[in-house]
Amino acid sequence: MREYRLDDEVDFLIIGTGAGGGTLAGKLAEHGFSVIALDAGLYFRPLEDFASDETEQEKLYWLDRRVCDGADPLQMGGKNSGKAVGGSMVHFAMVSLRFRPEWFKSRSLLGYGADWPLDWREMWHYYRQAELALSISGPVSYPWGPKRPRYPYRAHEVNSAGRLLAKGAEALGMQWTETPLATVSAPRGKSPPCVYRGFCRFGCSTNAKQSTLNTWIPRAIAAGAEIRDLAMAGRIEVNDAGRATGVRFHRNGAWHFQRARNVVVSGYAIETPRLLLNSATPRHPHGLANSSGLVGKYLMTQSNQAVFGRMDDEVRWYKGPPSLTITEHWNYQDNKDFFGGYCWMAQGPLPIEWAFIQTGARGLWGEALRRDMMNYNHQVGLKMVGEVLPDTRNHVTLDDERDQYGLRIPRITFSWGENDKILIDHAIGQMTLSMQAIGAREIFAQREDANHLAGTARMGFSPETSVVNADCRSWDIANLWVCDGSVFPTTGGVNPSLTIQAIALRTADRIKAMAQHGEL
Amino acid sequence: MRRQCVRQSPAPAVQVAGRLYRGSAMLATSVLLDSGVEHIRGGFYNPAMVTPVLTSLLTLASNLHGHVDRHGRRHGARHAVFALTVATGAAGTAFHIYNILKKPGGLRWQNLFYSGPLGAPSAITLSGLFGLLAERVRDTPADTMPRIFGINAGRVLSAVTALSLLGTSGEAGLLHFRGSFQNPAMYLPVTMPPAAAALMTGAALGKSRKSHWFTPLWLVLTGAMGIAGTGFHIYGVSRAMGGWRNWRQTMFDGPPIPAPPSFTGIALAGLAALALLRAHPEDGEATWA
Repeated sequence: MREYRLDDEVDFLIIGTGAGGGTLAGKLAEHGFSVIALDAGLYFRPLEDFASDETEQEKLYWLDRRVCDGADPLQMGGKNSGKAVGGSMVHFAMVSLRFRPEWFKSRSLLGYGADWPLDWREMWHYYRQAELALSISGPVSYPWGPKRPRYPYRAHEVNSAGRLLAKGAEALGMQWTETPLATVSAPRGKSPPCVYRGFCRFGCSTNAKQSTLNTWIPRAIAAGAEIRDLAMAGRIEVNDAGRATGVRFHRNGAWHFQRARNVVVSGYAIETPRLLLNSATPRHPHGLANSSGLVGKYLMTQSNQAVFGRMDDEVRWYKGPPSLTITEHWNYQDNKDFFGGYCWMAQGPLPIEWAFIQTGARGLWGEALRRDMMNYNHQVGLKMVGEVLPDTRNHVTLDDERDQYGLRIPRITFSWGENDKILIDHAIGQMTLSMQAIGAREIFAQREDANHLAGTARMGFSPETSVVNADCRSWDIANLWVCDGSVFPTTGGVNPSLTIQAIALRTADRIKAMAQHGEL
Repeated sequence: MRRQCVRQSPAPAVQVAGRLYRGSAMLATSVLLDSGVEHIRGGFYNPAMVTPVLTSLLTLASNLHGHVDRHGRRHGARHAVFALTVATGAAGTAFHIYNILKKPGGLRWQNLFYSGPLGAPSAITLSGLFGLLAERVRDTPADTMPRIFGINAGRVLSAVTALSLLGTSGEAGLLHFRGSFQNPAMYLPVTMPPAAAALMTGAALGKSRKSHWFTPLWLVLTGAMGIAGTGFHIYGVSRAMGGWRNWRQTMFDGPPIPAPPSFTGIALAGLAALALLRAHPEDGEATWA
C-alpha cells in the first residue's frame, strides 16, 4: 500500500471508510486522484479476526461515549454504527435494496419529507454499479418497482424462517421475494460461497460477505490510495480564504495534521455532524458548512419493530443469513393513512440477541426466561424497516463532555413523530396478521427498536435549505464534501447501504467530470 | 433353443450392445454416486430416497452381466432390471416435481434451484433406457437390421441420444445458472451437448449412408468434457470454505463431482447409435465397423 507523508497535499482526504467513504475512496483512486482514507477503527482480516461470538464482535461497533436523549433515545451500537475499516458494512446484515423511485421526489409526488436533488434514473445506473461491485445475490426478477437488471448472483436458498414469511405473505395476498443480499451464492475471487453459519450481522469469518472491507478498500489500495486505520479525525482546518486545508487527526498517541486539497467527511449521521460542529472557527462559529444551520438537523432512524411467535415445528431461524425473504408490499402501496413506507424481512436473531428481546420486549427474567429460551429453535419472526420522517426536533448537537481524544461528544436527540407511530402500528398489525396466517402461537410485538440512521447533513437545491448539493459538495466551503448517509433528505423504507454506495459512485463520477472542467 | 454357441468374437449387434452397456453403466455410476451423496446430504429424509442408490447398483450389475454375456439375445432378468430402472427414474422425477411444488411459491426459480433437482432422476431413466435398447439390439439375428417399433434402431438410438443430451444440458444449465456461471468453463455443458444433440438429430433423420467424421468426433469431445467436468467440480469444491481439508462439508455443498460424466455415458450411447447406422445403412449392404 502506498503511504503519503503528512505534508503531501493529497487530492482527497476522506474521513471514514464505510459505504460512503470506502466506496468513494475506491472510485476516486481509480479515477486517478491521490487519496488517503482515515478510519478511527482497526483494519480487520476476515479469516483471522472475526470470531463466531456475539459478544466478541462488539469490537466492530462505535461504542464511544455519547449522550442520547429525547422522548425515545436511540440506542447506539451494532445497528447504526461501525468502527473499523469498511465501516458498519463490516457487520451489516447485507440487505442491499434500491429506493422506490418516487422517494427521490417524495415531497412533490407523495406529499411528505423533501425532494432529493437526484434523479432516480441516474441512481438506477449507480445502483447497478454498486450491485455489480458487490456481486449481490438476488432474485432473478424483482417484483416491485421499475424493471431492474438481473442480480449478478442468484438468490440464496431460503431457510424455513424465510419460507414462513413467504407463506404468510401469500396468505395475505402480498408478493414476496428473496432479499437481495451482499453475500455470494457462488465463489467470487477470494470469497467462497456463503456457508449459512448465520453469524451475519457481525464480521463474516467465511469472507462470503461482500462489504467495503473486501471490495472497495482493496480496489482503492490497488489504485494507489492509502487506508490509514486507527486515525481519529478531530478537526478540519480551514484557512482565511475559506477553504479546507487538511485534517487534524489522532494516531499512535499523538495529534497530526494531514494536508489535502479536498476533504470529504464520511462519518455517518452522528460523527459527520459532530466533526463539522467540532471544527468551528471564529469565521464559522456554528461549525463548518453550517450557514443553513442544518448541520446535525433532521436526524432520522428507521423503525425496526418486530413481531415474534412460536411454531409447533422446528424452525431453526439461526441458519443462514437472517433476512432471506422480504415483502416490500407497503413500500409500493399508497392506499394507507400515513406517509412513508416499510418492508419486513424474515428474522434469525442469535441467542444473546434473542435473550435481549425476551427480557426487553416481554420482560421475562429468571426461570421464566430460561424456560422460554428453550423454545429458541421453534421461534419465528418478522422485522420491519420503516421510514421515519425528517423532523427538525431530531438532531445531533455537541455535549460539553469530552471523550478519550479530548473531543466534545455528540448529544443525540430523538423522538418518534406522530406519523412514525401510526406507521409502526400499521406495520405491527400487518406483521401480526402474517404470523397468525402461518399458525404461530404466543405472538408478541417488539415495540421498541430502531436501526439505520440518516440525515444531519442533508443534500438539497439551495444553500438555505441544505448542507450539500447534489454532488455532496458543501455550499459554504467549495473543497469540503460530505459523502455518507447523512446527506439523505428522506430515508425511505429500505436499508440504506446500497443507496449510500450509489451516491458515492455518482459523486466520484461528478468529481472526475468537475476536475476535467476545472471546477474543483 | 440356443441359436448359436459362444464364438471367438461376439456378434456385431452384441458389440454395439456392449457400447450401450458401457454408456448405461457410466450413467448408472454417475447416478449411484451423485444420488448417494445428495441423498446422504438430505439425510434420507424420505425412505424412498434410497431407491436410486439400489436401482443404480442393480443396473450396474446388469450392465456388467450384459457386457460379459456373449449370447446374441436378450436376458429376461436384465431386461426386467432395466425396465424397473426406467420406472424408478420416472417416479423420482415425479417425487422431485412434488418436492418443488409443495414449497411456498411453487414453480419458481428458488424452488427449481434448491429442491430435488428436476432433471437428475432422468439420468437413471436414461441408464435403464440404454440398457433396454441394448437388450433389443442384441436380440437381433446377425444379418438383419435391429429395429425398435419397426424403425431402424440406429435412428431411434440417435434420437434418444439427442433428447438425452438436451435434457442433461438443461439440468446443467439450470444448476450453472444457479452458480451464476461464475467460471467461464460453466458454459461448456450448455453449449457442447446441444451442438452434439443437433448432430445426432441429423444422424437420426439424415441419410444413413452418409459418412460423418465430425459427429463421432464431437461426441468424443462431449464425452471428454463430461470427464473434465469432474475435474472442474473437484476444483470447485476446493473453492468452498475450507476447501478439501473440510471435505465432509464442502463435498456435499459444492458442485456434484459425479454428475458431469452423465454426458460421457450419453456420448457413449451416441457412438453406439452411429456404429449401428454405419452397420445397417438402410439402402445398402451392412458394413460393420
